Amino acid sequence: MKTHSGLAEVGVLCGAFVLLWFAPVIADDYALQIAFRVLIYLSLAESWNLLAGSAGLVSLGTSCFVGLGAYVAFGLLNSLDMPLPLVLVCCALAGGALAALVSPALFRLRGLYFTVGTLALAELLRLTMVNVSAFGGASGIFLRQDPPPLPELFHYALVVALIASLSITACARTRVSVILRAVRDDEDAAAQMGVRPYRVKLGAFVLASALCAIAGGVQATKLGAIEPYGMFGLQWSIDVLAMVIIGGVGLRLGPLVGALLVVALGEALADYPEAHIAIAGVILIVLIRFAPRGVVGVVASLSSMMRRRAPA
Amino acid sequence: MNAIDAPLLEVRGIVKRYGGLVAIDHVDLQLWPGTITGVIGPNGAGKSTLIGLIGGAVPPSEGTIRLDGRDVSRLPASERARAGIGRTYQIPRPFLDMTVEENLEVAQYSIEPFIRASLAREQRAVLLARTGLADVARLPARALPLLRRKRLEIARALALKPRIILLDEVGAGLVDNEITELIALIRSIADPRSAIVIVEHVLRVVRECCERSMVLNFGKKLIEGPTAEIFANDQVAAVYLGTGGVREPAGRGPPTEAAAAQNVVHVMGPAAERRVMSPLIAPTAAEGAGAPLLELEGICAGYGQARVLRGVDLTIGEGQVIAILGANGAGKTTLARVISGAIVPTSGVLRIAGEDVLGQPPHSIARLGIAHCMEGRRIFSTLSVQENLLVAARNADASAAGERLGAVYDLFPVLAERRDHGGTSMSGGQQQMLAIGRALMARPRLIIFDEISLGLAPVIMDKLYEALAVLKQAGMTLIIIEQDVDRALALADHAYVLEHGVFGLSGPPSKIAADPRLRHIYIGTAD
Repeated sequence: MKTHSGLAEVGVLCGAFVLLWFAPVIADDYALQIAFRVLIYLSLAESWNLLAGSAGLVSLGTSCFVGLGAYVAFGLLNSLDMPLPLVLVCCALAGGALAALVSPALFRLRGLYFTVGTLALAELLRLTMVNVSAFGGASGIFLRQDPPPLPELFHYALVVALIASLSITACARTRVSVILRAVRDDEDAAAQMGVRPYRVKLGAFVLASALCAIAGGVQATKLGAIEPYGMFGLQWSIDVLAMVIIGGVGLRLGPLVGALLVVALGEALADYPEAHIAIAGVILIVLIRFAPRGVVGVVASLSSMMRRRAPA
Repeated sequence: MNAIDAPLLEVRGIVKRYGGLVAIDHVDLQLWPGTITGVIGPNGAGKSTLIGLIGGAVPPSEGTIRLDGRDVSRLPASERARAGIGRTYQIPRPFLDMTVEENLEVAQYSIEPFIRASLAREQRAVLLARTGLADVARLPARALPLLRRKRLEIARALALKPRIILLDEVGAGLVDNEITELIALIRSIADPRSAIVIVEHVLRVVRECCERSMVLNFGKKLIEGPTAEIFANDQVAAVYLGTGGVREPAGRGPPTEAAAAQNVVHVMGPAAERRVMSPLIAPTAAEGAGAPLLELEGICAGYGQARVLRGVDLTIGEGQVIAILGANGAGKTTLARVISGAIVPTSGVLRIAGEDVLGQPPHSIARLGIAHCMEGRRIFSTLSVQENLLVAARNADASAAGERLGAVYDLFPVLAERRDHGGTSMSGGQQQMLAIGRALMARPRLIIFDEISLGLAPVIMDKLYEALAVLKQAGMTLIIIEQDVDRALALADHAYVLEHGVFGLSGPPSKIAADPRLRHIYIGTAD
């Protein structure tokens, strides 16, 4: 049964992918810009949801891997003039490698300490970029070549989002999912069942970090210029966290709904940046207080209530 | 046993130190294929630590553990599980948000990630049927009551297809016919290629399952040998069995030094008890004279759809001690929760000293002098022993609280010694003493003791019941809810037996003890 719903999910994802692929034909630039942003956010939110919702690793280090992807992409494009797809593969490898490299230190920390550890890592990388002039220092780096046109960038973002969603489906709909949840719920009891918690967490962390790094690479290519405060900024980590909490932590549709809502809210209030942050904060507080399972959680419990009431 | 064969598991000179405390001190143990070994000993003797050391949850300070000749003593728990050591936790730790079946999948998929789904499903079905969980396979583990969670612990351990199975107090809280089932289950798990270790206070399980047993005391092996010899040993009786092993009213040997040193309660005459315990005994309320202390009429209560109590009548007078007996699920704890106000009955009358208190919240009922010594102790782990006690007396002024503290320390001197220790740093028996002391600190008119002997060594149960006898002498009103029928009946003035939510049987203890229906409820019919 599990496999069937998993296959159905893959079908829906691929169908949506094919449909959206042709979006540039009808959509104008503004719509494509928005869609690009939703897709990048979706990829980041999916990977964060994998870490926090399935493996119980609450990370504030999204920006660390987004920034790493951006710098790796620019370095390879500027100095080696590699084709973009290959560059993005290298971004993923770099993100995964950094995650694997720091995991012995980070996984010694559990719970809140892990979260603080990821935050420290992001700050460490940002300060390194600021202070090492070979990486452009505080003023950052420009892309020497012209960025690809928007429809092409949109297609890259679409592919990244598909890879992220398929990866998460693979983790959530197969036997991997019980192993992940076991580690999240009780690491010691899981170990007593033969699960190797370290490897499981490492796998999830490497995968999530690689996805963040690709998304960072695509985002940087679109910008054409990067600097450490923006690419390693805490804003990435906070936005992603807000999206998943608004959508619903650990729920399959949470990241998508969260990304759509956050981007829509940003657009609606684009002319009032201060109000935007304040309103987003209020929404977050209200949801955490009254609907800890987010918008998707509320809809799910409402619909199950309706269904229970209907036959009576 | 073939002498040429090496033991399946060999523990040699294992030591575990926590700072200055030696929890396990140079213990040796050999497990042979096809055997079941019992490990018994007082609370705090290091039994669960030994399970942790073999299972890998606790890294050893010294010594080796060899499985099939391979040194596994430095391997983490996950690798030991994969090597074939399965364990259960004393307090079950299922993955609460997963279904029962998914809990088993964790073990299956971790050792065989690519097992065919249909094969895995068949194996799960067999395991669930064997452990009596087939009907709840799709329910989340959170929905299971304690006893079923214990079965799930066993099922999960078995899903590893282990060669060593470590069972940590799987029998605690079961009544006789459930223990009969458990013994049958353990025997059915036994396999000529694997070995089982049972840590257990329910002596029947050890007596009927284990050919050999070992007694731990203060982290050291006291004695090891055939189970029958162990149970007949005087030294074992003194440190562990108390009266719980062989019931011979006059035949208890002279107490050893260890037992004498630990002997905390001295029963004096009624007058003396009343004087020493007086700070803890509430005065008889004048306006309540005439009305009984507690009255229940036609109480019905339950949780959601499940109706647990179906019309319970009960009247308790000042100074009475009553015992409430019954199988698991009969509604004993629910009744206790109704009296203390934690559950609001769906119908019926609840009066305390003539006052109708139905629907009042627990803290108002507590203020009327009802204390509830809950199943599972509920000690505040961040508070010291003394702070745990004082919390319950926060309505009293300092001098009254001090007097009560003194009386509790008189009752349980060991608590005075440990007054600055963390509340949960003590052994299970001492924590239970603390829980009783805390209930007393409120100077209640009536105390409900819910399963206070659960998971305790027989010798500790003796001490707790001696303390209850002191309270009875001093004139306290007590409700005792208990699986240990003999101990409860020995103390009570009147006993009630709950059966499917009503009192199926009630009367003076001597009559109840002799009634064949009690035997029927607890032991089940012969067929």
